Amino acid sequence: MSQSRREFLGKLGVGAAALPFVMNLSSVARADARRKQRVVFLFSPNGIVPSTFWPKETGENFKLTEILSPLEPYKSKTLILNGVCDKVRGDGDSHMRGMSCLLTGIELAPGNIQGGSDHPAGWAKGLSIDQEIKNFLQKDPATRTRFGSLEFGVMVPERADPWTRWSYAGPNKPVTPIDDPYQMFNKMYGRAKDQKALSSVLDDLTEDLKKISSAVTPADRKLLEEHASFVREMEIELKEAQASAGHRVPTIEPGVRKDNDNMPQISKAQIDLMVNAFQADFTRVASLQYTNSVGGARMKWLGINEGHHAISHNSGDPVADKDLTKINHWFCQQVAYLAKRLAETPEPGGEGNMLDNTTILWTNELGEGKSHTLDNIPFVLIGGGLGFKTGRYIKYEKVAHNRLLMSLAHGFGHTLTAFGNPNFCGDGVLGQLA
Amino acid sequence: MAVFRSSIRIDSAACAAQWSLILAIACWSIAASERTGEAIFKKDCISCHGSAGEGTKKAPHPLVGEKSPAQLAHVISKTMPEDEPGTCTGEDALKVAAYLHDAFYSPDARARLQPPHVELARLTIKQYRNSVADILAGFTKPTKSDDRQGLHGEYFDARGFGATGGRPNKALIDRLDAVVQFDFGTNSPAGPEQPAMALRVAYSGPAARQFFLFDVASGFGAPRGVFPNKIEERKFNPKQFCASWEGSIFAPETGTYEVIVRADDGVAVWVNDINYKQPIIDAAVRSDGDTTQLHGTVFLLAGRMYSIRMELCKGKELDRKKLDSCLVDSKHSFVELQWKMPHGEVEVIPARYLSPNRVPEVAIVNTPFPPDDRSYGWERGTTVSKEWNAAETNAALEVAGYVAERLQSLSGVAIDAPDAKTKLRVFAANFVQRAFRRPLADAEKKLFVDRQFESALDLEQAIKRVVLITLTSPRFLYPNVMDGQYGVASRLSYALWDAPPDSTLLDAAAANRLKTREELVAQAERMQTSLLARAKLHEFLMTWLRTERFSELSKDAKRFPEFNAGIAADLRRSLELFIDDVVWSENSDFRQLLLSDELFLNDRLAAFYGIESKKDAAFSRVKWESEKRAGVLTHPFMLTGLAYPAESSPIHRGVFVVRGLLGMTLLPPPDAVAPLPPELHPNLTTRERVTVQTKPDACFQCHGMINGFGFTLENFDAVGRFREKEHDKTIDVSGDYETRDGMLVSFVGARQLATLLAGNEQVHAAFAQQLFHHLVKQPVRSFGLTTPQKLRESFAQSNFSVRELMVEIAVMAAQHNSTEASADPKKAAQADVKR
Repeated sequence: MSQSRREFLGKLGVGAAALPFVMNLSSVARADARRKQRVVFLFSPNGIVPSTFWPKETGENFKLTEILSPLEPYKSKTLILNGVCDKVRGDGDSHMRGMSCLLTGIELAPGNIQGGSDHPAGWAKGLSIDQEIKNFLQKDPATRTRFGSLEFGVMVPERADPWTRWSYAGPNKPVTPIDDPYQMFNKMYGRAKDQKALSSVLDDLTEDLKKISSAVTPADRKLLEEHASFVREMEIELKEAQASAGHRVPTIEPGVRKDNDNMPQISKAQIDLMVNAFQADFTRVASLQYTNSVGGARMKWLGINEGHHAISHNSGDPVADKDLTKINHWFCQQVAYLAKRLAETPEPGGEGNMLDNTTILWTNELGEGKSHTLDNIPFVLIGGGLGFKTGRYIKYEKVAHNRLLMSLAHGFGHTLTAFGNPNFCGDGVLGQLA
Repeated sequence: MAVFRSSIRIDSAACAAQWSLILAIACWSIAASERTGEAIFKKDCISCHGSAGEGTKKAPHPLVGEKSPAQLAHVISKTMPEDEPGTCTGEDALKVAAYLHDAFYSPDARARLQPPHVELARLTIKQYRNSVADILAGFTKPTKSDDRQGLHGEYFDARGFGATGGRPNKALIDRLDAVVQFDFGTNSPAGPEQPAMALRVAYSGPAARQFFLFDVASGFGAPRGVFPNKIEERKFNPKQFCASWEGSIFAPETGTYEVIVRADDGVAVWVNDINYKQPIIDAAVRSDGDTTQLHGTVFLLAGRMYSIRMELCKGKELDRKKLDSCLVDSKHSFVELQWKMPHGEVEVIPARYLSPNRVPEVAIVNTPFPPDDRSYGWERGTTVSKEWNAAETNAALEVAGYVAERLQSLSGVAIDAPDAKTKLRVFAANFVQRAFRRPLADAEKKLFVDRQFESALDLEQAIKRVVLITLTSPRFLYPNVMDGQYGVASRLSYALWDAPPDSTLLDAAAANRLKTREELVAQAERMQTSLLARAKLHEFLMTWLRTERFSELSKDAKRFPEFNAGIAADLRRSLELFIDDVVWSENSDFRQLLLSDELFLNDRLAAFYGIESKKDAAFSRVKWESEKRAGVLTHPFMLTGLAYPAESSPIHRGVFVVRGLLGMTLLPPPDAVAPLPPELHPNLTTRERVTVQTKPDACFQCHGMINGFGFTLENFDAVGRFREKEHDKTIDVSGDYETRDGMLVSFVGARQLATLLAGNEQVHAAFAQQLFHHLVKQPVRSFGLTTPQKLRESFAQSNFSVRELMVEIAVMAAQHNSTEASADPKKAAQADVKR
């Protein structure tokens, strides 16, 4: 698929709906244009270890490296992109820009937040691609969902700044991820759970009203009887609502506090909730942010006591690289767990499993920790949601990541001609993806 | 001053003479001896008014009201019967008036025919919100407080705050800031160019008012100055520093408060959020070109203090061009902490609403409720509706979530602790007990605690179920389903606070000490010093003055170009300061509300009314046109509210006196009448125009009384400015009023009117009765037909002390054992309800 062809079609005014057919997209996309497509953005911080991350061979015959080994069961569904660079410059240090420009593809506004280097900066100047896709899907009644998007987090610090936010609803409008599974649960199922608790006390309440009624004057009793009649009405309405609710409310492990050491449990709970949300079609866009840019998780469960960010400053050192490889391997395990859960869940009301219709994009704010480079940002895509041709490792020649962001939108039939800073979009969507 | 009506009104005397012949014919058709009031009524009045004054198609309004027999007789002789007015006068009019007055017209007659009783009532919305706040406040440690004003300011020479994590950072300046309103310029907060902000503003800026003026009626006590306590000489880095202000704010009214910060550095503000979870202003990160006005809103309940924290972080240089030079000037920095109170305008939060004391979080129910019934003129909870039931249930769910979220801090129990279940049961039982305002019976503990714990899946669910069933239970929602000492305690506290009893009061109930009047008075006096009591009395006074109707005051831009929303808000504040000042002064003398020759003005109002004042002067007490003005009657907020956009309105002002001060009901005008347009009568004064318009007999019944009051205030225009003339004519400000015993009293101007009203028993009785309704939320005669009389007498005995009247009413409510249920201990529920 050549760029010139797409531009040509664009000039002809061929609409989004026609594109999958004209453009010879993958078989999944062709099979059913109306299938439920989904995308998940998954973030882990502080760069990777190039030597233990990037495969040696390009194309279809590549071997998964140490970090990527958890993806072995899904190798044929995996697409690894090298040479994609965050070319956005301007104010803010690399960590800030790496994070806040990652999904927005646009500069940070000048502002008051001073990083470890460079000029102080504020929030990103534009919305992020997940929110762009959400808005696109929410416009169409056929793809509209209850939430449009859900932003998950794991151990995200309690402060809002360009290091801790990557999803933006618009310029200067960062979206706060929910890193408490119970809060997310309440967002998704709070009403149902409340109603259940309420139904469980209504019988007792009715009894209580009767008791009190019998003790007051007939005139006063009238008021209490009226009150009781409203309680009965509510009970009936609740029963009806519950009967028509359908989807089963999941259970999550109780009492997991926000604590560094509970990161694995929190991660699992969040992934399980995300899969539930997709099953119930609450959303088709989700993001999952592990800690933050410069995040300092101490992965004691891997035998690593030092904070992630501190270690990442020593990348290249063999001891540090060993730890960093372990850390990134752990993040990859989380990605693989999500892929597994999706793969083993049949597509509700559709064909195949949910991974066939979901693309997970795992990325990072840096290429590598010590140099703080924004070149060769790791992008690993798993699943068939956007119809890309998987089972490959592609090396690009320093292409702007804005073009990948555009490709994601195009995967939904949202044919953007630019996203973020238009200067990085001149060559259109990335080639070789489909 | 007082003369008989017939001797003064030449025109009406003439009319009477003309009509006397017709009168003779009408009344003489019954033999003189049989001409009782009842007989006359049956003969001449029934056809329109019905046999018991209930009304017919011809005269649909029931014959009920507050006029005395003499006042009724006057109306009858002038206007009745409608087809032949003037045929029932003199003795006959008096007889028929006396008959109908006692048979069904007067409040007492109505109460006799249909005795009002104390009705079962649920919590009103206000009471509900206060109850939830206080149940949960019972689980937090009370903090120590003093009467200092302002906020605790800390200034740091680096990014970060010692108090809220990050690297520990010591404050270089630690002081009390009266208000947060600083212009740091390009300096640091402690640079030699600007040695101390507080000192600087003490002598120049608008904040200066806090230092020189005494504190008025704020609820914080005596005046005090605020000075920086200690300033380190060390120079700050002017390009990068942080400051935080912490303490609490007082909410005088229930409603939505808008908090506004003016700054272009990083800012965050938390209100009523002691764990700093959800800033209402979250602008720690600033991008160039952002607005410098940051807004946040928070809903607060009246009469309470709420925690507040604001952080300011000046970042590095933002000037792009000069960035690489280390010699550049620092950027200009400023900060102002403002608010917009309900009914207020944007202003820097005055020191008297700020305190450096830390306070616990207040649990505020945000669930919207349908408004309470106010058809009797006071909020009451004697009706329920499906919407109310839904709201009350949603509120219970909201509180269940709130408690579950803060379970550890409220209960002191970690949910995963080994003995959590046992301890949380104790917590739950305490919760139910606080909600029911009394100890629990065994059966109650079983139902409301044990049963919920046994059937819930986990502890969090158990707690949520306890909260749900407790807050939806009639035992919580209907506080007057209660007897004994705890019933006394609840009635006392809801009367004074609209909130449940505090622990001191409950302890007294437990010790069986709420038996004597002395003890109850002592408790009420203690409770009256609380901010909640002040808020409730304040709210009543504003209701009594009917200021709710004045919202969104606006005036004709051509006539009053300087009038704006800021003036309107200042006027309201001025009135509020005045009434609070009177009732919380030592004598708390009601009559001063009508007679005082002082009021409160600030610089803006002084300028508007053409009075000299210091620049930036805050509100202070002044004598202004004191020979012409008198208390609330001539307070410019009242005069402005009771007026049209361009013209005064004697009718609105007169109606206020009749309804508000004399407590009389007025029928609506027989037809919807638009006021005569002044431009069509360019030569008439407002008084003349109104006189023309209300001349017909149909109008006279009410306007005879209304106009007589309203005209005396005609020296004040639509914004309350004094005037002698209108259209070059000298304004006639004479008025009159026929007293309850039929005397005609004349007066000229506002002061004479005020003197009359301040000494009038009906005014005293009406005030006492309205206060009763506001506090107790039950009809005054449900406490006995003589209650209005008793109230008036005790009011007079206390030299019209408003505070003593409040105590008297609250004690009366506490002692009144109302429902049969509580009187009959054998009734079924009493096994559970009663101790």
